Amino acid sequence: MATKTKVAAKRAPLETLREADETLRLPAITPPVTYPLETLVPEVRHQTPAVGQRATRPDGRLHGLGQTRYIDDLAFPGMLYAKIKRAGVASARIRSIDTREAEAMPGVMAVLTGREIPVNSFGPSLKDQPVLADDRVFHAGDGVAAVAAVTEQIALEALDRIKVEYEPLPAVFDPLEAMKDDAPKVHAPNGNIYATKVIRKGDIDKGFAASDHIFEGRFRTQMVEHAPLEPHATIAMWDPNGRVTIHSTLGRITLGRADVARTLKLPINRIRIVATIVGGNFGGKNEITQEPVLALLSKKTGRPVKGTFTRTEEFIATTTRHPIIMDYKTGVSKDGRILARKVRLVLDGGAYCSWSETTLGKACILSAGPYKIDNLHTEAYVVYTNKTMTGAMRGFGAPQVCFAYESHMDDIAAALNLDPLDIRLLNAFEEGSPSPTGQVLHSVVVKDSLLQAAQRFGWKEPRS
Amino acid sequence: MANVTLNVNGEARTASVPPETTLLKLLRDNFNLTGAKLGCDVGDCGACTVIVDGKPVNACLMLAGQADGRDVLTIEGLATLDGLHPIQKAFEDNASLQCGFCGPGIILSAKALLDENPAPTAQQIRDALAGNLCRCTGYTKIIEAVQDAARALRGEPADKAA
Amino acid sequence: MKRRGRGIACMWYPIGFTVSANPSAAVVKINEDGTATLLTGTVETGQGSLTILGQIAAEELGIATDDVHVVSADTDATPMDTGAIASRTTYVTGNATRLAAEKAKLILFEVAAPMLGVKPDQIEARDRKIQVKGYPQRNLAIGEVANHAQVVMGQPPIGAASFNPATVALDPETGQGKPFSTYVYATQIAEVDVDDETGEVEVLRIVAAHDCGTAINPMLVEGQIEGGISMGIGFALQEEILFDDAGRQINPNLTNYIMPTSLDMPEIEVDIVKSFDPTGPFGAKGVGEPTAVPTAAAILNAIRDAVGVRITSLPATPEKVLAAIKAKRAQQPKRIAAG
Repeated sequence: MATKTKVAAKRAPLETLREADETLRLPAITPPVTYPLETLVPEVRHQTPAVGQRATRPDGRLHGLGQTRYIDDLAFPGMLYAKIKRAGVASARIRSIDTREAEAMPGVMAVLTGREIPVNSFGPSLKDQPVLADDRVFHAGDGVAAVAAVTEQIALEALDRIKVEYEPLPAVFDPLEAMKDDAPKVHAPNGNIYATKVIRKGDIDKGFAASDHIFEGRFRTQMVEHAPLEPHATIAMWDPNGRVTIHSTLGRITLGRADVARTLKLPINRIRIVATIVGGNFGGKNEITQEPVLALLSKKTGRPVKGTFTRTEEFIATTTRHPIIMDYKTGVSKDGRILARKVRLVLDGGAYCSWSETTLGKACILSAGPYKIDNLHTEAYVVYTNKTMTGAMRGFGAPQVCFAYESHMDDIAAALNLDPLDIRLLNAFEEGSPSPTGQVLHSVVVKDSLLQAAQRFGWKEPRS
Repeated sequence: MANVTLNVNGEARTASVPPETTLLKLLRDNFNLTGAKLGCDVGDCGACTVIVDGKPVNACLMLAGQADGRDVLTIEGLATLDGLHPIQKAFEDNASLQCGFCGPGIILSAKALLDENPAPTAQQIRDALAGNLCRCTGYTKIIEAVQDAARALRGEPADKAA
Repeated sequence: MKRRGRGIACMWYPIGFTVSANPSAAVVKINEDGTATLLTGTVETGQGSLTILGQIAAEELGIATDDVHVVSADTDATPMDTGAIASRTTYVTGNATRLAAEKAKLILFEVAAPMLGVKPDQIEARDRKIQVKGYPQRNLAIGEVANHAQVVMGQPPIGAASFNPATVALDPETGQGKPFSTYVYATQIAEVDVDDETGEVEVLRIVAAHDCGTAINPMLVEGQIEGGISMGIGFALQEEILFDDAGRQINPNLTNYIMPTSLDMPEIEVDIVKSFDPTGPFGAKGVGEPTAVPTAAAILNAIRDAVGVRITSLPATPEKVLAAIKAKRAQQPKRIAAG
């Protein structure tokens, strides 16, 4: 409760009782925090059996009190602040990086470039992403150099004093253009199509021949950012035993540790990753970003180093959701049964593979929809472009293909004058249905979900 | 350096900071009150919301100097040794927060609303929280919790099934 | 004029990685008083996974949610986990947790058997008691057994286990195989108003019926569904990263990249579809990602129902919707072709 007590009427401020050491940035005096002395746990957490209970979350109380310590809330004595310089050009060769002026600035403790990173590449499948660009810039959000300074402000100013000379190179931004033979190669000498997937089932030609109607449609989706409220944040501390402790906003610490070990050429047992509570992920915090950079800056300076992405960096320097161009062709019988379907997907992979192979696979498998289709041909491609990399994001391609197959389904229903609910019930998977990959499905409740939602909505009731 | 003296959660506090220091930086770096979060630093997300003289403000948009001599309530000052604030309790009971990063800001926006309007409609709650982004929850359980808290603050029994 | 429309979309979604191994390990330690500690390498990123895993461990041990403390997200202290990805935590880490709790529990049963005068396989753990199956009055408090195990018998009840979903690699030519162990299913129905003079779409109501297998914690399942829907609304109507001709983002900030606020959210009604997956922990599958899958499709179908235009590229911004309405009016007498 904010009281209306006049400041002057209060006793002397705590700071006057103890002089704060501003240079070490020690918190002057930890302020009083009020929360209940008695821990009253909601009854539901005491009930058995535990499964099925609407149990409250223990972290929920800390969130509400403002007591959850996210990475950016942590501070260690002597901690430095790191900032990364972003290329701002989408495709170029780096001719030179001059860091002398930045290094000479008072308050700047260390500068790091890509050439100093022991193994400057990472990625969940293809290791095609540099930690900091060294020779080539592949998209405008690439980091090219990093600074550790005593304040964030000095680190930012130092970035401006780092001079990078670029030789512009041809770039490609449209995935369909990038598939052409004469397109600029993003990762030359390799071609731009870096993964493909095919699913074939039954006989597609026979299926179309037997169909009464054939429908076609092209659907496209956009690039989307995860936008967790908490930006990526990391604190790295190199200790005298050559161990590095990294507090970081990572949803996958085991993989993160392996990636850090690989890029730093360290044994895995010399790396500790602590993620505590992450402030939102949605697929965007599933791989390392600045962790090796901060670890090396900590090694150079002998101090803990913290880096927190700006909101802009969240957009330009972390993964995003794949835009997909989706071509559908579907043959149906007079009564609306799907007899054949052909799907072609082109995924815009951006500059690096990241989780594209997984996204490609899931999009390809799921693209036929939850429907019994005997004759199916799906092919999917993911291509490099000189744009922000696309990776894991809630649904791995499924929201995109669902938009396409369900839009397509309604177009078919409208043309055949069928109720959109009925055409789905007619074609939906049942217990034991084979999936597009021939898997016999179990605990299948797609029809139950259709009927339950329709019932709740009042779908079959007369429309006003 | 600018000297600022303000009343934070009922306690007089003072600091000497560079003039460009925001209230958010002052609270987080100088006073170690990290409940207010930095989500965008330009007033878009509301994660840094605190209450200044009874009004919710984005602490990232207010300079420390502008808060000189004023009353600031942060999330750390909302509960007491006797118990959670009814808004905090309702947020816990409804599992209204998921990652929790938006939570302190949203709870303080809700408090500022309920201080002015003890019986807001759902639409008034939506309006009051429109400056606080949340990516996890879809706001649904947050709005329900604010309604529950409003009832509790009015001394009415909870109106909930199960 | 505002025109009302409704649209339906259903979906299927797999749990876990596509074919490739994605194991989780877990350690469950029963303390001397019958409370327990779970060690997991997964990370709480907001979904409530630690609460769910605690409930799974508690269920296996016959104790309450609050009796289990969960330690997570530290590579020095917690066992290997593939992590908070692919809607896999409840299913994969949940299975590992259940198996680890079972191993710890069996140590209690061994210790309790002579105390109860029966064989270990005649014992069950329920309501914080170790009891004889079919004879619940023959019981011991779990704390008494746990203390006896550790302090008298010298057998601390600790269990460690791992789980990896069963898959079969896909044939490279035909894609045939078993890429996932299990799938979830869902339907969402959207009701919208479309202003045919401005192209603006307002989502009024979304009904969501989701399968997640057994709902370990229905309140947290609802939270996932509501959150997924908000992300789906942004995907359908608002969000898009834009680039200039040189490949630089134009709107890399929350001022110009528009994500849903409290004002954009419709009334949401959630149904959890009854289902049980025998391969999941207590029949559970998962729910994280699928909640965001059918929303956009349902909204876009509702737009078509309201104003008769098919928007084929996301997001369906007012400009795009209005342009489509105008184009349709321009060729009014013609029938609208499918697709």
